[in-house]
Amino acid sequence: MTAHDFEDLLRELTPQVLAALVHRHGQFDACEDAVQEALSDAVRQWPVDGVPDNPRSWLLTAAGRSLVDAWRSDSARRRREVMVAALETSAEVAGQDDTVLLLFLCCHPALSPPSQLALTLRAAGGLTTAEIATAFLVPEATMAQRISRAKQRIRTAGARFELPPEAERPERLGVVLHVLYLMFNEGYTASSGPELSRADLTAEAIRLTRVLRQLLPGECEVAGLLALMLLTDARRPARTDSAGAIVPLAGQRRDLWDAVMIAEGVALVERTLGTGPIGPYQLQAAIAAVHDEALTADATDWPQILALYDVLVQVAPGPVVTLSRAVAVAAVHGPRAGLAVLGTLAGDDRIMLGHRLEAVRAHLLEQAGDLVAARETYSRAARMTASLPEQRYLTLRAAGLST
Amino acid sequence: MKYMIMMFGGIGTTLENRTPDWITGMQDHMMKLDQELRDSGELVASSKLIDPSQAKTVRFQNGVPVPTDGPFAEIKESLAGYWIIDATEERALEVAARVVEYTEFPMEVRQVMHL
Repeated sequence: MTAHDFEDLLRELTPQVLAALVHRHGQFDACEDAVQEALSDAVRQWPVDGVPDNPRSWLLTAAGRSLVDAWRSDSARRRREVMVAALETSAEVAGQDDTVLLLFLCCHPALSPPSQLALTLRAAGGLTTAEIATAFLVPEATMAQRISRAKQRIRTAGARFELPPEAERPERLGVVLHVLYLMFNEGYTASSGPELSRADLTAEAIRLTRVLRQLLPGECEVAGLLALMLLTDARRPARTDSAGAIVPLAGQRRDLWDAVMIAEGVALVERTLGTGPIGPYQLQAAIAAVHDEALTADATDWPQILALYDVLVQVAPGPVVTLSRAVAVAAVHGPRAGLAVLGTLAGDDRIMLGHRLEAVRAHLLEQAGDLVAARETYSRAARMTASLPEQRYLTLRAAGLST
Repeated sequence: MKYMIMMFGGIGTTLENRTPDWITGMQDHMMKLDQELRDSGELVASSKLIDPSQAKTVRFQNGVPVPTDGPFAEIKESLAGYWIIDATEERALEVAARVVEYTEFPMEVRQVMHL
C-alpha cells in the first residue's frame, strides 16, 4: 500500500468512524478529538505493523479507548459512561450514510463559513490541523483555535447529530454544498500566496461531493456541483504555463485538458438536467460543459452559453453572475454590449467584485480597440489584486499594450 | 545575524513604461533569487505586500484612532515586500545589489534585533 492509498483509506474511514462514535455517545467535540488521536496512532503504527485486517474497527477501538482515557482524566463522575464506552467499542461501525449527518453538523448555520470549512476538512475529510493550516496559510495554533471554537459553538447551539427537520433540509443542504464549493474554489484559485492552485483542497472537495452524491443520488444540485468541479478541475493542467504564469481560457492548450474528467462531468450534466428542479450548480456545470466540449476557443458555442447565463441570472442573480454574463454577451453581441452590461452593476457590487471587474473591463476594452483605456484598466486591476500570479498576468497584459 | 531586505514602491510606479520582456525578466530574476535563498537555507521569511494604493492608515485624530485610505508614506517610499535572511551583512548587501542591478530602484538592508 503506497502512502497515497494509505491517506485515501484514512480519509474515507474518518467520517465513518467519527459518525459511529458520535452516534453512540453524542458529544461531537470529545469524539472528534478522540478520532484525531486514533488517526495519529494509525499514521504511526500502520506503516510499521502493516494495515490491520479491519482498519475501520481498529480505528473505532483506538478512538473509543482514547475517548475513555479523556473521560477518565476528566473526572471520576463519568465512570459509568466509561464502562459503557469500553463495552461498546467492538460494535459494528455505522455505514456511510452517517457522513451526510456529519457534513450537516460541520456546516451548521451557527458557524462562520471559514469555520464550517475548517471543521468539514477535519471531521469529514480527516485532514490534520497542520494540513488544514498549511492549506489556508495560517499558523497551526490559529487553525487549532478556530476548530476548537467551532466545536464549542456547535455544542452551545445545541446541534444534534441527526438529519435536520424536513422543512429545513433544502436550506441546510444548500449550506453544505456551498461549503464544498468554497473548499473547491479555495483550492482551485488560492485567494492569496504564490501558488495558483492547491490541488489537495480541490481533490478533497471532489471526494466529499462524490460521497454526498452516492448518498443523495436524487438531489440534482449535488450532481450539478460534482459535475461543475470535474469540468473545472479538468482544465487545471492548462491553466498555467511551465513558468507558472496564468493562461486564460481562450489561450489554453486543450489537449492538456483531462478528457476522462470532462467525459464524466458531461455525462453527469446530461443525466441530471431536466430530471428535477434546476439550480445554479447545474447551470454552471452546463456552461462549463459547453466550454469543455469546444475543440478550439473559436468553436465555443457562445449563444448557448449566453442562453444558460440568461437562466442563471434569473435563478441565482448576483454580481459574479452578471460579470460572467457580460463576457458571454460580448462574445455574442460584441465588446461594447458586454461593457454596457458591466455598466449596470451597482456601486456595492463593483466594490465586491474588485479587481475581477477591472480585469474583465480591461479585456473588453482591448477587444473594442480602446487600447489606452484597456492598458490603464489592466494596471488598475493589477494594483487591486492580492494574488501574485494574477498580478503578474495583469501587469504583463498592460505592458503588452504600451507601444 | 538576521537581516531584512526591503523593497519599496508599488507595481504602478515600479513597472511604469516597462516592456513585457523587462517585466518577465525581472520576475524571473526575483524568482531565481528567491529559490536560491530557499535552497541555501538562508531564507527566514519573505512576503510581497499588495500595492500601496490599497493601503489603509490608522491615524490618531481628535483623540480617537481613525482609519483612512492610502499609505502612510509616499507610494514610491512605501514598503512593497521583504526578505528576512539569516546571513552576514555582506551577503545581505550582495542579495540587495543583485535586485538593484536589475530594477535600478534602491533597497534597504537592516539588521533584525535580538530578543
